[in-house]
Amino acid sequence: MQMVTVAIADADLGRRTKLEQSLQGGQGIKVLTNGMSNRSDTSIDRRLKSRTDMTAIEDVVARVTQLKPRVLFVNLNQSADEDSALLEALRLECPETLVVLLTDKSAPDEQIIQALANGARGCLNHGADPFYFLKAARMVDRGEVWVTRKMLGKIMDKVLH
Amino acid sequence: MILLASSSQDDLFRWEQGVRGLAPIFCSTNLDSVRGELVRIKPNILLLDHDLPKLDGPNGISGLMKLNPETKVIVLTRAISDEIEWGLFRTGVRGCCRGDIEPEQIKNVVEAVQQGELWIRRALSWHLLNELVMITQEKNKIKQVVSDLLANLTRREYEIATLVGNGESNKQIARRLDITERTVKAHLTEVFRKLDVADRLKLALIVKGSVTPRDSTRIGH
Repeated sequence: MQMVTVAIADADLGRRTKLEQSLQGGQGIKVLTNGMSNRSDTSIDRRLKSRTDMTAIEDVVARVTQLKPRVLFVNLNQSADEDSALLEALRLECPETLVVLLTDKSAPDEQIIQALANGARGCLNHGADPFYFLKAARMVDRGEVWVTRKMLGKIMDKVLH
Repeated sequence: MILLASSSQDDLFRWEQGVRGLAPIFCSTNLDSVRGELVRIKPNILLLDHDLPKLDGPNGISGLMKLNPETKVIVLTRAISDEIEWGLFRTGVRGCCRGDIEPEQIKNVVEAVQQGELWIRRALSWHLLNELVMITQEKNKIKQVVSDLLANLTRREYEIATLVGNGESNKQIARRLDITERTVKAHLTEVFRKLDVADRLKLALIVKGSVTPRDSTRIGH
């Protein structure tokens, strides 16, 4: 089985570490750490110490460009504009990396659809069982999408109308 | 209500077993009957055999859907190519699965579609997402072109163009802006010239971001 490289872009250190640990146990999955900026993370500061003036988006793109993960889990932000800008930048700078969104239950469907329209290939709730994160990474790596049937219904409505 | 449509009695029997208890069930064995029942009973769900005689593929399905747009159509087929299957979804069907599906599985499909889900194979959901991305990029492109063009208008011209976009008449615009109708017309003439459009309908479409000026020239031809 070919190794699927995965990184996580989530500013919440606790949540990110937990997800990294869950994914590390998965067969055929290799977790590349430091997908997202975290000022307390000295290894990141060391690697990118010359780039301290970067915006958060440039920071993530720079890290993804360095790490080159096949699948990147990205926490969906509160701001749809920021999400769009990040996804657009990732699409242009790191076209080989496939983005899966991490959302919480409060995320509006419209915002998720917008992010999918901007190139994300899947969407998962933060609270999902670790099994599904592994499965989503493998499916998205194979060129499939990871979206609920309900969301697909809404996307189809959007496409047809 | 659920309408089952197939010329095969065996299929109808098996499908009926699957959906029994979900809702009252009606059956049709030919296209005319399906048309009649769609109008008469207005079913929530239509389970439709892709091989129903005279159905004529996506065009026929599209025609059926127009008879009652509220009906969610699930097509049951033999093995068909991804392209044909995707064509069915593009007509607006909400689910597609093999005709020899087990009765219990049919129940799952119908329940999912009733709840607003789309019963589509993962391989095809990739097409769906790509289509969403393409449409979005196209819309963004149109928005950008329109925004660049509208930037050439003066503030007053932009104001009047926006009001035309909202469907207001010259008289209403004149009253709202406290100017004469003649002045409104003069501004509009300049707006039409700058945007290279011939009438207010095309202008309204441009302002609403539905079309670019180039596209608008094709409207009505």
